[in-house]
Amino acid sequence: MATLTVNGTDVTVRDGATILDAARQIGIDVPTLCWYPTLPIVGNCRVCLVSVEGSAKLLPACATTAADGMKVTTESYAAVENRRGVLGMLLERYPAERIDERGAQNEFERMVKRYGVSVENRSGLPLRAGDDRAGDPMIQHDMSTCILCTRCVRACADIQVVGVLDVAYRGDHAEIIVGADGNPEHAGCTWCGECVRVCPTGAIHDVLPLAKFARDAMQKPATSVRSVCPYCGVGCQLDLEVRGTDVVRVNSPWIEEATPNMGSTCVKGRFGTDFVLHRDRLTTPLIRKGWVKRDGRWRYEGDPADVKRWGRRGGPWRDIEGESNTQKSRPRINPLRRLPTVGGPLGDPRDRVATPADWYEPFREGTWEEAMEIVAQELTRLRDSHGSDSLAVFCSAKCSNEENYVLQRLFRAGIGTNNVDHCTRLCHSSSVSAMQRAMNTSAASGSMREVECESDVIFLLGANTTESHPVFGAALKRAQRRGAKLIVADPRRIELAQRADIHLQMLPGTDVALLNAMLHHVIHLGLHDQAFIRERTHGFDEVARAVEPYTPERAETISGIPAHLIRRAAELYARGPRSSTLWAMGLTQHRTGTDIVASLLNLILATGMIGRWGAAMLPIRGQNNVQGASDVGAIPMVYTDYQPVTDPSIRHRFAQAWGVPDERLSLTPGLKVTQIVTKGSPVRGMYIMGENPIISDPDVAHAEEWFLGLEFLAVHDLFLTETARYADVVLPGASFAEKDGTYVNTERRVQLARKAIPAPGAARGDLEILLELSNRIGLPTPFSTAADVMEEIASVTPSWRGITHARLQETGGLQYPVEHATHPGTAFLFADRFPTADGKATLVPVEFLPPAELPDEEFPFWMNTGRQLYHWHTGTMTRRSQGLDSREPVPTVELSPADAAEMGVRDGDAVRITSRRNSIEIAVRLSPRVARHQVFVPMHYREAAANLLTNPALDPYAHIPEFKVCAVRIEPVAPGRHRALSVERIEPLVPAD
Amino acid sequence: MGFPHKSHPRETPVLSTHFGDSEARSLSGWRARGGYRALEQALGMTPAEIVNVVKDSGLRGRGGAGFPTGLKWSFMKPGDGKPHYLCCNADESEPGTFKDREIMRWTPHALIEGCAIASHAIGAETCYIYIRGEFTEPLQTVGAALDEAYRDGILGKSAMGTGKRIDIYIHKGAGAYICGEETALMNSIEGRRGNPRIKPPFPAVAGLFGQPTTINNVETLAAVPPILTNGAEWYKAMSLSNPKSTGTKLFSVCGNIARPGNYEVTMGFPFREFLHDICGGARPGHTLKAVIPGGSSVPIQTMQEADATLMDYEGFVANGSMLGSGGVIVFDDSVCMVRMIGRLARFYAHESCAQCTQCREGTAWVTKILERMENGGGTTRDLDTLLELSENMTGKTICVLSDSCAAPVVSGIQKFRHEFEAHINGKRCPMRSAAAA
Ligand SMILES: Cc1cc2nc3c(=O)[nH]c(=O)nc-3n(C[C@H](O)[C@H](O)[C@H](O)COP(=O)(O)O)c2cc1C
Ligand code: SF4
Ligand code: SF4
Ligand code: FES
Repeated sequence: MATLTVNGTDVTVRDGATILDAARQIGIDVPTLCWYPTLPIVGNCRVCLVSVEGSAKLLPACATTAADGMKVTTESYAAVENRRGVLGMLLERYPAERIDERGAQNEFERMVKRYGVSVENRSGLPLRAGDDRAGDPMIQHDMSTCILCTRCVRACADIQVVGVLDVAYRGDHAEIIVGADGNPEHAGCTWCGECVRVCPTGAIHDVLPLAKFARDAMQKPATSVRSVCPYCGVGCQLDLEVRGTDVVRVNSPWIEEATPNMGSTCVKGRFGTDFVLHRDRLTTPLIRKGWVKRDGRWRYEGDPADVKRWGRRGGPWRDIEGESNTQKSRPRINPLRRLPTVGGPLGDPRDRVATPADWYEPFREGTWEEAMEIVAQELTRLRDSHGSDSLAVFCSAKCSNEENYVLQRLFRAGIGTNNVDHCTRLCHSSSVSAMQRAMNTSAASGSMREVECESDVIFLLGANTTESHPVFGAALKRAQRRGAKLIVADPRRIELAQRADIHLQMLPGTDVALLNAMLHHVIHLGLHDQAFIRERTHGFDEVARAVEPYTPERAETISGIPAHLIRRAAELYARGPRSSTLWAMGLTQHRTGTDIVASLLNLILATGMIGRWGAAMLPIRGQNNVQGASDVGAIPMVYTDYQPVTDPSIRHRFAQAWGVPDERLSLTPGLKVTQIVTKGSPVRGMYIMGENPIISDPDVAHAEEWFLGLEFLAVHDLFLTETARYADVVLPGASFAEKDGTYVNTERRVQLARKAIPAPGAARGDLEILLELSNRIGLPTPFSTAADVMEEIASVTPSWRGITHARLQETGGLQYPVEHATHPGTAFLFADRFPTADGKATLVPVEFLPPAELPDEEFPFWMNTGRQLYHWHTGTMTRRSQGLDSREPVPTVELSPADAAEMGVRDGDAVRITSRRNSIEIAVRLSPRVARHQVFVPMHYREAAANLLTNPALDPYAHIPEFKVCAVRIEPVAPGRHRALSVERIEPLVPAD
Repeated sequence: MGFPHKSHPRETPVLSTHFGDSEARSLSGWRARGGYRALEQALGMTPAEIVNVVKDSGLRGRGGAGFPTGLKWSFMKPGDGKPHYLCCNADESEPGTFKDREIMRWTPHALIEGCAIASHAIGAETCYIYIRGEFTEPLQTVGAALDEAYRDGILGKSAMGTGKRIDIYIHKGAGAYICGEETALMNSIEGRRGNPRIKPPFPAVAGLFGQPTTINNVETLAAVPPILTNGAEWYKAMSLSNPKSTGTKLFSVCGNIARPGNYEVTMGFPFREFLHDICGGARPGHTLKAVIPGGSSVPIQTMQEADATLMDYEGFVANGSMLGSGGVIVFDDSVCMVRMIGRLARFYAHESCAQCTQCREGTAWVTKILERMENGGGTTRDLDTLLELSENMTGKTICVLSDSCAAPVVSGIQKFRHEFEAHINGKRCPMRSAAAA
């Protein structure tokens, strides 16, 4: 603690605080250019120098530690003269004329104005230069306005831990460079735009808004609306810059705000939300041609010629199997929505159209009245004629809590079925079933910040965090730099595996062997936490017996990981003292997913690495609201807060809350995604909100067939997706920017996104659509806004009791449990008990079982699937984002160079991948990240849908399919180059090491 | 001896005794001349004892700032559990300075011995000698001497068999003047860009690799062995002026002078006699006009000032300049001061590490003006701008390179304003036109 005087005011600061901290603490604004919160202090701009009594020299406020009794004057004559001098010198090589023309536009120019500095007496030095990233689709440089504060350099190196930018040369030649050769690709750039955020002059700027909007749009006054990123489960908050009715730019919140992202975003958050403005957006309901209204009822009387040509719910399109033999099409016109195009240096960004023109052919535009009438009529008809369970609904991990809640409420209370599920089934359902069994919980125990700042050891399994959750990935890299040890278990040598202290590179699907062996070794050395085991768990002894045969040597034969590495990892993890455990799809998407997670939980519990700050259990959630959708009951077995549907007393409470008789609510758990979409399922009609099972389900050729057999299908989405093609009615919904709603991130943080712009055309807010539908099928809804819905959610969800929109407006997020209206939320759980009946967790013995399909002579490769940095799930959004799609325009398979050499294929050649189910054609990307005889196929491309190949083998508990392992064959395709590559480039992956 | 001339009788050779004597380069030759006795003696002393001897001797840093060496060493806290480092600054890139080069060329073992003693004194097991990359011959001689010293067991795991570890490594610079600045030098050794660091923390707290570090100039370290052998009193007694400046100092003399070269004199030697007797005075037919006495970074002296100066730390300050590194640059009446100062400014503009705004922009701007002025394009207002810029460049930056650029500019304008005005008024360089006429 030091007490000093700044401009006559006394202020007491913590030890180590700088003069600048002291001034900021009492609201005194000392101008700074090179200083930026959290970045290393370099003190190079010299604009913050202040007078300190007793010091002959001016001292840098940003770099001088505040000392007791200091007397600081921030605007002394000498300080101001210096400041004017510095600004004058910077202005000297800056295009200063523009300040007079357009007024001060940026941080630096505002400072120049504040100190009344102008350019007289030019020195004749040239404007500054630097690398320019010419033609870059997202980030460009205008280095004439660079003032060499080096914020960008440090942001890249210290926040993102990438290190693309640097200062090159000395003296007046000094300039910012992009990698050694000016190519961001070669330097490992991830286009996160951290540099854009920190640059005080706009020398580094985002390019999209300028290209996309005519000048006058950019001239309209801007407002800023706080939202939540629509992509992954990190839940980054975003500030949408709105001009007129367009989101013209995405900014990240100020770095010092308590957001999960602390001001960072990844490329998707900052540059990937232009899909909102894409011309493919549905602006009016679409009704399948042939639906006619007679005598007050709608019936399907399709033109026999059409039906003959296409089938009842077909169209002129190829099915996904056929798509996989086409190139992505890019028609210039959306036949239902002819919009003028805007010119720009990159052409009209909306031209990268992903919906082929002929997909619209089987539909006509309809009114909302017509569309809603048909949907309501068909849902009630099927309910009444075939029973409630003939209907099912897919809620959406991309929609808000309020929408998911209303939709599951509609199906449970309005239709009377528990056939409610969403894509959590395909991601963390096995984690949930294992966590439920072990400790009756369904979410992370800790927080991302604690992993970043506190954990001593981070054990990351089956998660490519730097690509799938990039902002958290950067936090892990920062944690490692701080000194945390990183253990990565992954069949691929992904970026974090390359950086890791220990990389456990296993054969796909052999996790149980690895984890059992780690526990074996821990017990062998006596490193298990006996007090924790005794006081807080059951079942250790059985598990200890079960892992006894799993020696590291045995695990080595199964998993291919050297036994000594398994031992080292086990010791490092168990010694902690605070080890955090993070995992994602690599563990869960197996037919043994629940077992795999259970074996991991055994390790966590046996070493007591849970329930302490710094020892977090963190399943990393994939989607912006996959946690929330599950929390509010969009899964078949439970109501909100995981309250079982089978319990009559719970049913009674919900029936009361929803104003229906108890019997209306079914006591039978509903069907899961993978049980609905399968031969012999009883479901005849479906409502799908914001999901695209035709690309995301395993073995999709069969799924597609199943959809063709439906009696009625309503799809509610932003675009005419692959799934929507088969619908009877397509309802145009609103994107995240066009509605209010809350989302839950991977650390149980409920956050509020606010409406920034109106939905396009006649598209409507999703909540509005669902409320109207609910009313139409006879379940009245007392709500009119999302805030109203949240009130009801809070009343039926014990752990959300204290959450209201009003609180979320202020706090920028609450981590549940939030027990009452003033409860601050809970950063970590299980400090002294688990939420089980006796407060103890249970260890469950598990045995290793190999994946359902192993390579053999006919199909000699292991195929793994997953995400890439620039794309997202089925590509519905990202492939309509100009910047993202231009980075990764072509479906590629990662193939090890040695295998490629054996096959005689080169980078960019086309190959055919065939599994027992189907085959796709795809371009080769040589990648040192994959092991020999393993390939990685991203899931995002409809023209090479990975899920045509995947194996629909299911986990017996969670019914999650084995997306991560199937056996395939790979053959070169004549004539060599992949056809899409005549126009596009394949960028190399950053080579290993 | 002496190099390239025989020692002048008025010199006091201590460090330069063996300049020109190629046998002193080898270990056996050096031993024959009394070498490594000081180290042997030092290894038998406690670090604190050595530090006290050096303190008592009054030795001050010869790299430019003149900080008392013993005091600097005493900042290294023994037993703090951290590795300590010694850096020897052999980056000698200051225009006009070439004394360290000769020490390394002729008496590499003197430097190694000094480094070893200093390492012991500050509790360091590792010393880096950072040698300017262009110094190909010194790199070679010091390298060869190190090899010999290792082979002989003087260095290594057990220095001279005492069980104390002393390792010395050579780090070759890559041509940046700024890497002679102590913290830039440390960055450079660590493999980073050679940017000076903000101070505090000072090197004795967090220097090389973040550990306590002492950094000394070559001449400073080479002076340590004779101090140990002959005693602090002997060294302290070598002073002709005041007790704050003791011992001998090597001066590198260059420019318009009859006998350029390195000369070693006792502190406090009269500068006038140094220039005229020892260095031979002006070239025939010329008169001396000005001198920069301490390497290009110090203010210019007029001959009046120079004539009144006693050559020690205080003496130069009293007469409008500084001792600096001891690089004496002499100018006679054939030199255009505007052109000369412009050249210096260009050097600094080129060498600025470009962190600080004032330095990066100021040095370039000053250069631009001076070069324009030299070519006849200057205005009176430019003189004000130069002084304003210099004011902004002084005392406000991370290191003093910026100040170094301002020093000759300000002193030049103050002391030779008429030459600047002649350029402005005549719209050309008067000296060049004289030559052309
Ligand atoms: C720009 C700049 C360049 C420097 N170059 C040198 C150099 O080449 N050699 C040197 O010994 N000291 C140089 N110094 C001084 C060092 O920073 C440091 O003061 C010196 O090495 C300390 O050693 P000493 O105490 O023995 O003099 C330079 C300082 C600055 C600011
Ligand atoms: S580009 Fe921007 S952030 Fe980077 S050094 Fe220049 S002004 Fe600073
Ligand atoms: S004064 Fe010049 S050389 Fe020194 S740190 Fe600043 S910019 Fe670099
Ligand atoms: S803000 Fe302090 S020196 Fe730049």
